Amino acid sequence: MSLAFSLAGQVGQCRLQVQAQLAASGVTVLFGPSGSGKSTLLRMLAGLQECEGEIRFGDQLWHTEGFRLPPWERPLGMMFQAPTLFRHLDVRGNLDYVRKRRGASGEDLARVVGQTRIEPLLARSVETLSGGEAQRVALARALMAGPELLLLDEPLSALDHGHKQELLGMISAIATQVPVIYVTHDLDELLTLSRQVWLMEQGRIVASGKAHEELARLDGPLAQRGDATALLYGELGAYDSRDHLQAVNVARQTFWLPAARPVAGDAPVRLRIAARDVSLCRQAPEDSSILNIHPVQVAGLREVGPGQAVVQLVLGDQRLLARISSRSARELEVFPGAQLYAQVKAVALG
Amino acid sequence: MTMVSDGDWLALWVSIKLALVTTAILLLVCTPLAWWLARRRLPGQALLEALLALPLVLPPSVLGFYLLIGLGPNGPGGWVTQWGEARSLAFSFTGLVIGSLIYSLPFVLQPLKNAFAAIETRQLDMAAVSGARPLDRFFSLVIPQARQGYASAAILGIAHTLGEFGVVLMIGGSLAGETRVASVALYEHVEAGDYANAHRLAGVLLVMSVMMLWALFRWQRKQNVGVMP
Repeated sequence: MSLAFSLAGQVGQCRLQVQAQLAASGVTVLFGPSGSGKSTLLRMLAGLQECEGEIRFGDQLWHTEGFRLPPWERPLGMMFQAPTLFRHLDVRGNLDYVRKRRGASGEDLARVVGQTRIEPLLARSVETLSGGEAQRVALARALMAGPELLLLDEPLSALDHGHKQELLGMISAIATQVPVIYVTHDLDELLTLSRQVWLMEQGRIVASGKAHEELARLDGPLAQRGDATALLYGELGAYDSRDHLQAVNVARQTFWLPAARPVAGDAPVRLRIAARDVSLCRQAPEDSSILNIHPVQVAGLREVGPGQAVVQLVLGDQRLLARISSRSARELEVFPGAQLYAQVKAVALG
Repeated sequence: MTMVSDGDWLALWVSIKLALVTTAILLLVCTPLAWWLARRRLPGQALLEALLALPLVLPPSVLGFYLLIGLGPNGPGGWVTQWGEARSLAFSFTGLVIGSLIYSLPFVLQPLKNAFAAIETRQLDMAAVSGARPLDRFFSLVIPQARQGYASAAILGIAHTLGEFGVVLMIGGSLAGETRVASVALYEHVEAGDYANAHRLAGVLLVMSVMMLWALFRWQRKQNVGVMP
């Protein structure tokens, strides 16, 4: 464990009261609606915002009653929603600003520049950068500090899909070495990045745990969303080159995914399955156009909104969600323990 | 220009010296003051700002009158100097500097205050988490980002001090080489009906003023190219 805190503070109307511990590496997504206090919590952790309570980082004490380690002495890297590049300096100047103050070397600079692929931007004025370029420079600047913890506050919310994916890839790679707290209200970013998630509502962390478990929890806020999605872990299987389908084995069931070429790699892969892409039936249909039909057991059911229900399904040791109408739930006799078939219309890797 | 008399060159030199000394002191004094006014909210601030802006609206002769009393042998300024060589700060270059400091203060303070207020708090926060301490942030971020404000403040401070007349007449009189500034010398030429010398001196002052403002605006235009919206 690297970071542990128990904090309270008042910001405007909002009372913040949180405590949590952070894993030693990997991305922890701080997820919640806007106004729930995510950014405020991040600012408190950085020392930019008044608060009460205690923050410990490893064996360092960052905050306690009557003591606050100033932000410039915390070994942090940070990104805000806007790139916030120093506007009086060019790209290299922005990196050097941090490098000089954090005592980083020229090799550190070269490594960070390579990691974030900003070599061609170094001599540019920050005012001429596109949104994606500016956030890449901002990421490089955050890394220049040689941080032991990265605090990222919705850094990709203003970017288009392509640039987002590029930066998400870089952040995931960096997170294998440095723990990252990543604030977002975008489910897609949560699905892409997260192994761990803290769910925040009205100034409190209401749930925390492994992302795939929190996503499937019926009593949590994520499963109730219209875009509720389950994450499943599987192993890559055979590739069908005639039909361009990639097999992924999950709990001794085979999911087929459309893929123009075989998916490379041997690590476990993650499958995303949106609840609204899953329908249920009592018998396995024999002549369906849907490729992925698997026997499942109902674990639970929850009404979400008028006439809508979300069903948690067990597939081996993993959980799947289906969003169906309340009428279907009644007519199919969906109850915990029922054996059904799940028809999965769309599966995505990631 | 060679036609400008030695006495008038001397008066111009006093004007320029006064403008430079005044502006240099004001830039130093107004930097913390403007920062405080731009970034803090404290009780009594509105009244303080009103007092500091007073020279903008007060007739210069009113200001000069109070300064004359304040700096004269019976005022607080006289008390200060009675142990020194001078009997009074009035009718001395030092007195002129003190008068000019008050008279030109809003012209230096205001551009600095606006420039400081325009600096985003986010930028300062980012510098803090980048390892910069407060004083370091001020020199490495605030001053470079406020450079336009500093240029405006310097030019306006110099130009406004050069144009001073009412205050100088009240507290400076017209001692050659000490308190006779260009604007006063010009007035004396007109009084004496010496329009030829008046024209020359007025011409020099006009050209100097235009050049300074031209330089300022040209520099500002260059700075504005490609600035983020």
